Amino acid sequence: MTQTATLDLGNANTDLVSRLKTGLARRTEGRAVILLVLVLIWALIWEPTVFSAYEVTLGRLALIGLTAVGLTAVILMGELDLSIASILAVSGVVMASFDNVFVGIAIALAIGLVIGAVNAFFVAVVGINSFIATLGMLFFLRGMAFVISDEEPVSMENKDFALDFGKPLIGEFTPRILIFVLAFIAMHIFLTRVRVGREFYAVGGNREAARDAGVPVRRRVFTGFMISGFVAAGAGVIVTLQLTAADPTAGSNALLTSFAAAIVGGILLNGGRGSVLGTLLGATSLALLQVGMTFRGIEADVQNIIIGLVLFIAVITDPNSIRAVVGSVRSFLSARSAPDPST
Amino acid sequence: MRNARTTTRHKGRTTVGLLAASALVFAACGSDDTADEPAEAPAEDEAPAEDEAPAEDAAAEDEAPAGDSFEVFALFPQGTDQPYGTTYLPPFEATAAELGMNLNIVNSGYDGEQQASDCEVAVAAEPDLIILWPAVGDQVRPCLEAADAAGIPVTITNSDLNAEDQELSRAYSGPDTYGQGVSSAEMFCEFAGGEDVGILMVNGAPGNTTAIDRENGFEETINEQCPNVEILQRETGNWNKDDSQLAASEMITAVGAENIGGVYAADDTMVAGVVDALIARDIDPASLIITSIGNTFLGNPLVIDGQVDGTVFQSSSWDGENAASTAYEVLTEDPAERLVKFMPSEKVTVDNAADAEVAPEW
Repeated sequence: MTQTATLDLGNANTDLVSRLKTGLARRTEGRAVILLVLVLIWALIWEPTVFSAYEVTLGRLALIGLTAVGLTAVILMGELDLSIASILAVSGVVMASFDNVFVGIAIALAIGLVIGAVNAFFVAVVGINSFIATLGMLFFLRGMAFVISDEEPVSMENKDFALDFGKPLIGEFTPRILIFVLAFIAMHIFLTRVRVGREFYAVGGNREAARDAGVPVRRRVFTGFMISGFVAAGAGVIVTLQLTAADPTAGSNALLTSFAAAIVGGILLNGGRGSVLGTLLGATSLALLQVGMTFRGIEADVQNIIIGLVLFIAVITDPNSIRAVVGSVRSFLSARSAPDPST
Repeated sequence: MRNARTTTRHKGRTTVGLLAASALVFAACGSDDTADEPAEAPAEDEAPAEDEAPAEDAAAEDEAPAGDSFEVFALFPQGTDQPYGTTYLPPFEATAAELGMNLNIVNSGYDGEQQASDCEVAVAAEPDLIILWPAVGDQVRPCLEAADAAGIPVTITNSDLNAEDQELSRAYSGPDTYGQGVSSAEMFCEFAGGEDVGILMVNGAPGNTTAIDRENGFEETINEQCPNVEILQRETGNWNKDDSQLAASEMITAVGAENIGGVYAADDTMVAGVVDALIARDIDPASLIITSIGNTFLGNPLVIDGQVDGTVFQSSSWDGENAASTAYEVLTEDPAERLVKFMPSEKVTVDNAADAEVAPEW
């Protein structure tokens, strides 16, 4: 009589449910989805114009979302890129300085790539913290934008081309919206289907482990910063074309709104967790909220309070923050309920 | 343990929901009630008299003539976040309320991209008129074209458009920003009296239309009327006192105090910073020729004290009132020609600084 040890694997249904649960638990977009649903309900009841004037809402989404999509690549690796707003300004000014639009665009995008590579060099090779390195780059590039533009807006030579760029290309969709959609799809495929993109998560999750597993960490950091720089330069080109002139002070809101979209979208600032889908959801929520409040005539100061409140909620409801708070409360309560050793 | 964690996560989501819902309810409550009211067709026979004095009191908002209402979108680059905007808005809102205009005011914070996006919202909202205060003059053409295509008239306030874009707007009211630079330079030339003077120049925020116009107005007038005045160095003061003080201090070091015979600052807030920088370096401001623009609460006392020789009066209340009344004129009278109303640019020196007509407003 021999006994055979068996392992109960459960039935197929349980497997599916548990896989679903595990899958959902891995997702980071929960808060963004809840916020988006709430914003949608609010808009449906109080400001349905955001849906009828969808091209305006999508335009605002493209404004907020494009730089945020590029920034996602860097944040997923646990790094920051504060220079994106200045890259946007410099690339726009450089592009507008050329009489030939296409030469200007090519050079502006190349500049974005080069700046991204320089940022990565300081972070990955020299070893400077990305916050410090890109902060320095932020000031350097802003100064460069002023020097190149002689401290004045630079009007495009070919204004007709620029004005055409702002007009709808397919249906009500302007080239700006279409470029944003393409950028989002490309980034989503890159981060979920391409090995190099998936390795960003490994680099952000545990850099040492990623290195031990054979991930070329330094190259990935270069790739991430170059993507961020390229997308920010692309945003600079688009803004310049859309407005027919480049402004050396451009992008003052881009940095904060990009980070806001990423944070609301559930991207962990320490890296390793998050998705570009979350960034899209975060950007969509913020765009809907901003456009809806503007349509509704809510004062700019009150709008800032509400956006700040949403960001605050997004930060304090981060699962790690909640776990930390719950852990502290438990420790506190258990310490109080434990018998006093002195008695 | 797992259950506890799930419960915690559940509670967390509930908290998110409750807080976000509160924010949205706040958003719903924080709006202007008039925004819900449909725009009614203006009845010309009930229109208030054109020359009716604008209300001085924000309480006039409740006194809009019944049945005579316009929906107006105001795209501004500043508001209560700046001293000028803070004193510009109350007379603007009071005049608009008196004339039956329901306002939706947006502040882009001098971000041209943000203002362009706000303009898209404004055009989609199909108001009766858009009042535009350009954040970046070179970037408003697409906005003007979109409004024009939608048949929405646009009036400009505070900073006029570039010459090639003016055909797309129906009116301008506000200061002659180039002329203000000219006036400040004319005073400077007069004070210099033909002597060779080396000066420092503190300009407004780089890229800003008003800053560029004032700088050009000052410099071109100096070159024409008193070439004996030489600009030794120029820096930006970003329209604020601290930056201006720092910029002035650095320029004094770079140029050498003994070479400086005067200073031009593009506004009174910045000239106050310059005066502080001079005093900190043991230089008596009264010994130099200093001119500015604004005649503000900061600048006017400096003129009276003799620390600043001259400034140019800019009335924020005139600007706000006329933005609303000019828009109303376009709405009700549909003038064939583009209206242009320049604010009087009165020169203020120690001789008239204490007069009631030039009492500072901001």
